[in-house]
Amino acid sequence: MDDSGEDIDQMFSTLLGEMDLLTQSLGVDTLPPPEPKPASAEFNYTVGFKDLNESLNALEDQDLDALMADLVADIREAEQRTIQTQKEPAQHQHPSAPLEASSYGGAASADYGMPTARTVSQYENDLPPPPADPMLDLPPPPPPPEPLSPKEGERESKKDKGRRERKERKRARTPQLVVKVHMHDNSTKSLMVDERQLARDVLDNLFEKTHCDYNIDWCLYEIYPELQIERFLEDHENVVEVLSDWTRDTENKVLFLEKEEKYDVFKNPQNFYLDNKGKKEGKETSEKINAKNKESLLEESFCGTSIIVPELEGALYLKEDGKKSWKRRYFLLRASGIYYVPKGKTKTSRDLACFIQFANVNIYYGSQCKMKYKAPTDHCFVLKHPQIQKESQYIKYLCCDDARTLNQWVMGIRIAKYGRTLYDNYQLAVARAGLASRWTKLGTNTAKPAQRAPGPSQPNGGIPQATASISTVHQEAQRSVETTKDKKPAPSSHDPGPPQGGHLRKSVLPPPPPIRRSSDTGGSPSLPPKAPGVKTDCNDRKGDRDDSLLDGHAEHLPSHDKYLSNQLLPNIELLDFQKYKALG
Amino acid sequence: MAGMKTASGDYIDSSWELRVFVGEEDPEAQSVTLRVTGESHIGGVLLKIVEEINRKQDWSDHAIWWEQKRRWLLQTHWTLDKYGILADARLFFGPQHRPVILRLPNRCALRLRASFSKPLFQSVAAICRLLSIRHPEELSLLRAPEKKEKKKKEKEPEEEIYDLTKVVLAGGMAPALYRGMPAHFSDSEQTEACYRMLSRPQPPPDPLLLQRLPRPGSLADKTQLHSRWLDSSRCLMQQNIKAGDTLWLRFKYYSFFDLDPKTDPVRLTQLYEQARWDLLLEEIDCTEEEMMVFAALQYHINKLSQSGAMGEPASPDQGLDDLDAALSNLEVKLEGSAPTDVLDSLTTIPELKDYLRIFRPRKLTLKGYRQHWVVFKETTLSYYKSQEEAPGDPIQQLNLKGCEVVPEVNVSGQKFCIKLLVPSPEGMSEIYLRCQDEQQYAHWMAGCRLAAKGRTMADSSYASEVQAILAFLNLQRAGGGGGSGSQPQGSDASAESLNPHGLVAPRFQRKFKAKQLTPRILEAHQNVAQLSLSEAQLRFIQAWQSLPDFGISYVMVRFKGSRKDEILGIANNRLIRIDLAMGDVVKTWRFSNMRQWNVNWDIRQVAIEFDEHINVAFSCVSASCRIVHEYIGGYIFLSTRERARGEELDEDLFLQLTGGHEAL
Repeated sequence: MDDSGEDIDQMFSTLLGEMDLLTQSLGVDTLPPPEPKPASAEFNYTVGFKDLNESLNALEDQDLDALMADLVADIREAEQRTIQTQKEPAQHQHPSAPLEASSYGGAASADYGMPTARTVSQYENDLPPPPADPMLDLPPPPPPPEPLSPKEGERESKKDKGRRERKERKRARTPQLVVKVHMHDNSTKSLMVDERQLARDVLDNLFEKTHCDYNIDWCLYEIYPELQIERFLEDHENVVEVLSDWTRDTENKVLFLEKEEKYDVFKNPQNFYLDNKGKKEGKETSEKINAKNKESLLEESFCGTSIIVPELEGALYLKEDGKKSWKRRYFLLRASGIYYVPKGKTKTSRDLACFIQFANVNIYYGSQCKMKYKAPTDHCFVLKHPQIQKESQYIKYLCCDDARTLNQWVMGIRIAKYGRTLYDNYQLAVARAGLASRWTKLGTNTAKPAQRAPGPSQPNGGIPQATASISTVHQEAQRSVETTKDKKPAPSSHDPGPPQGGHLRKSVLPPPPPIRRSSDTGGSPSLPPKAPGVKTDCNDRKGDRDDSLLDGHAEHLPSHDKYLSNQLLPNIELLDFQKYKALG
Repeated sequence: MAGMKTASGDYIDSSWELRVFVGEEDPEAQSVTLRVTGESHIGGVLLKIVEEINRKQDWSDHAIWWEQKRRWLLQTHWTLDKYGILADARLFFGPQHRPVILRLPNRCALRLRASFSKPLFQSVAAICRLLSIRHPEELSLLRAPEKKEKKKKEKEPEEEIYDLTKVVLAGGMAPALYRGMPAHFSDSEQTEACYRMLSRPQPPPDPLLLQRLPRPGSLADKTQLHSRWLDSSRCLMQQNIKAGDTLWLRFKYYSFFDLDPKTDPVRLTQLYEQARWDLLLEEIDCTEEEMMVFAALQYHINKLSQSGAMGEPASPDQGLDDLDAALSNLEVKLEGSAPTDVLDSLTTIPELKDYLRIFRPRKLTLKGYRQHWVVFKETTLSYYKSQEEAPGDPIQQLNLKGCEVVPEVNVSGQKFCIKLLVPSPEGMSEIYLRCQDEQQYAHWMAGCRLAAKGRTMADSSYASEVQAILAFLNLQRAGGGGGSGSQPQGSDASAESLNPHGLVAPRFQRKFKAKQLTPRILEAHQNVAQLSLSEAQLRFIQAWQSLPDFGISYVMVRFKGSRKDEILGIANNRLIRIDLAMGDVVKTWRFSNMRQWNVNWDIRQVAIEFDEHINVAFSCVSASCRIVHEYIGGYIFLSTRERARGEELDEDLFLQLTGGHEAL
């Protein structure tokens, strides 16, 4: 049911994107700066308000254009959602359905009874929604159903009422924030982030805006210049929520950059799970691990009933509260928190003392702690409550001997804190990356590749369930192919879209074929590095890949089987008892 | 055919007399003598025996056991010659299924009929099918430890033994569900009670009993348990188990496949019970903080199961609940995953206002608690000098979102404090609220907890949270009042008079008094109070699995070339060499790097070859090397399971991997 909204979004962002490009190429400032101000001011009234004026001053003209486009798109989205929310109950609550359908007019009743995605999208294409020109009613329209709802509520059951009202309120005041993101080349980009968007959504938005590759290493990076600490925003974190912890006059920044540490544990699990506690030999063996073992290691650590936190222990330096002296202590990481060995005790579980638990703290890298805090080394990590913004005795500083240890601890703590979510995030990132390379490939067929990326708004982009969201990603891709077909019927000599999309809907795993395909012909730069689910034999068979995708997949199955049996029976030849019998 | 005679009575064919005892291995058993030849088939012999006995009875389960060779004669088409049976063979004609007493993971005793003739693997599978536990390959049987002969002093209370010997399962398909339980349990009162015992968690044990039970004092003690595993490829009869013996049923392999609370109530409960006893008897160590979480979960689980809220699978409301869940799911999807917002309660904003005493610890002040008028609305706490000044500006206003809430309660001292650690950009500010009585405390506490999670008192969980807090305070009154606590035994121990000492391992009993324990458990409880019974059990199991020492089975071995005994830890993915005295990990080898392993049964030595030509060899000291061998093979087998195949088991593969020479 979200399809309709997304479709429209899709089209609009495409349209607006094109407009954006046009204006940019003309070099004309089509929009006077003050115009978006009143509009957005109405939107942002919690957190966004104070930041908006500030950031508006810093806006460049280009940014304004982009902002304008975003705003328009958002208004459209809001309208779309109004319609949607009206439609939804109609399909769920049969008793009250006719009533609502009549009260909301033709739109709902036309849709009622044919809830398939296909028909909806057709309907959207045929009938543009009533408010015609988004430019005209820039000041956001007061949501029409608001006055209606109390009257109707009486007729509905209590529960429905509550849910309805909540939904409406939410939509009515989707606060948005103008966020200035610092790019890797020291430029900045401002973008609108609404209350519901997760770091993942913002990243997607940025990918689209910057035309960079969709590498999984891209991340939003939070920097506190005052405290000299920094960290990744995890993909599932709500961006507005994170930023709302900052103070009014903050120097904190959000960066958009590539950090290979972000998902290092999934790329090189052996460095975290097979490390032999500082012994040098561990390093050598760990580098030899092959993709198959990596995958089984990941499966073992993240796919069981509970995830496995890497076994980390060792001496670290702890900054003493309020002093600049550091004390060396033996720390251990457990799923339940960080522990240390008290003086004169052993490191058995029963003697350990709890240092900190993760529920209320975030993990940060410390930068240049040697200078600022007289730390023994510069490899420090910091644990603090997200709301603390100034120096405080409640911030814990720990210092490792080397960078490798530091990375292990930070990653270990992230795994202990976020658990399975981290893995889901990674899988989603890989899916995005794979999808992106597919688009680049498709782009060679039609005109503009980047414009067809998914719209910035992703109403349910935050599903933590990896498989579900991956399949939606693919459906999206599929849909975007369809919409472009409708718009400008390209002379598609071969269009892999429909058959492939149909197939993908059934399969749950991120399927390798599109990735492999694009790597042949498109020469895309962004192959997901060793993603699970991407079988290792892909590369070997590159050469003879010319057949249709479906065939490719069918051919893939047997090898998949073989792969499984190989992996699960790790090279064990059955015991030769006869030999021993003879000996004995 | 056999037994042709001449007129003088001499046998002229090559027939001879075969004596068969009827019954289980009892020397004074009734016996029948048959005239047979070497070509007689076992089937024919069976028929003759039945004729000889001449008693009307269902003999279908009976078969012949050959005592000297310790084997069953189950191939009815084989001849006596093929088996190599001569006249001196001592044969017993007895039932293949015999009653045994099973000690379940929840420590209850259950009498049922187990197959004495099939390999243990199949026998366990049949038992698990009867008990409706999926994935029987993860379980096995242990011999019961030998009892110390001190029975005169300790008069053990008569315990109830559940009986399932009369229940017969139809072969083939999985038993159908009837009235929320597998159909074969719904036959009678007794079997229903038995299913309740299987699928519901047991109340916490008496702390005194807990202290008396043997606990492993060292790593060496932990190896004892694992020396008692029975052999999966041989039948019970071959392992000298007699009818009526006690055996332990336990999860042996710590690799739990596809744990699903919906379909697995018995499996989940028994696993939970095993985990709980593991922790209570200190088979696995955990930290103090972890123990409090385990205790809180146990308390919560016990409360739910006592209150009967258990009925999740059977409850008539299930459909509705599912619908509700689905709807709220849908709602979440539609709304995006935004945090539950503050304005949820536009219609009516419940608020708390009252005079409370407030204390703010500051450096260099000796001020104590001071009375203030406190208003708690949404997630914000404001306080004023007095009620009259309330419309004006408060002395201070605190948003409790994201704060830490710590109970500081002493019921007997009538002290009901809430300690709040409220984060602000400058750090944490500490504030204490002191309430007058339990009621007031429970309401404010519940409000604080919800506010800390960003929810308001309009949240539907508010009322239940208040109730949970009150219930917990009652617990403290009972536990704290009774001192060391001589609690009534067993099922009498209702939630009201629960002793918190029954929830923690004995070493914490010694470390903390009950009244010290209660607030800590209460604190941990607030994070789990909203879980349903199966969710709580699953959480408990997950926390158990997250312990660093989880799932390691210890055996004492001596490595080749070493002069001292060491411990070999076997986990689901690796072997660990552990120092016996210190408990330090010396070396870890992963199964994924293993090329092959060999067992030399004569010198009891296991040799393992890993990648890169790493060879390890050790002889087994505490357990037989076949137990080590079976563990390794078993884990390899378990790793071959796939979701797609469902519950089908490749038994041949299992026996190949774990069997040893008889299996081939």
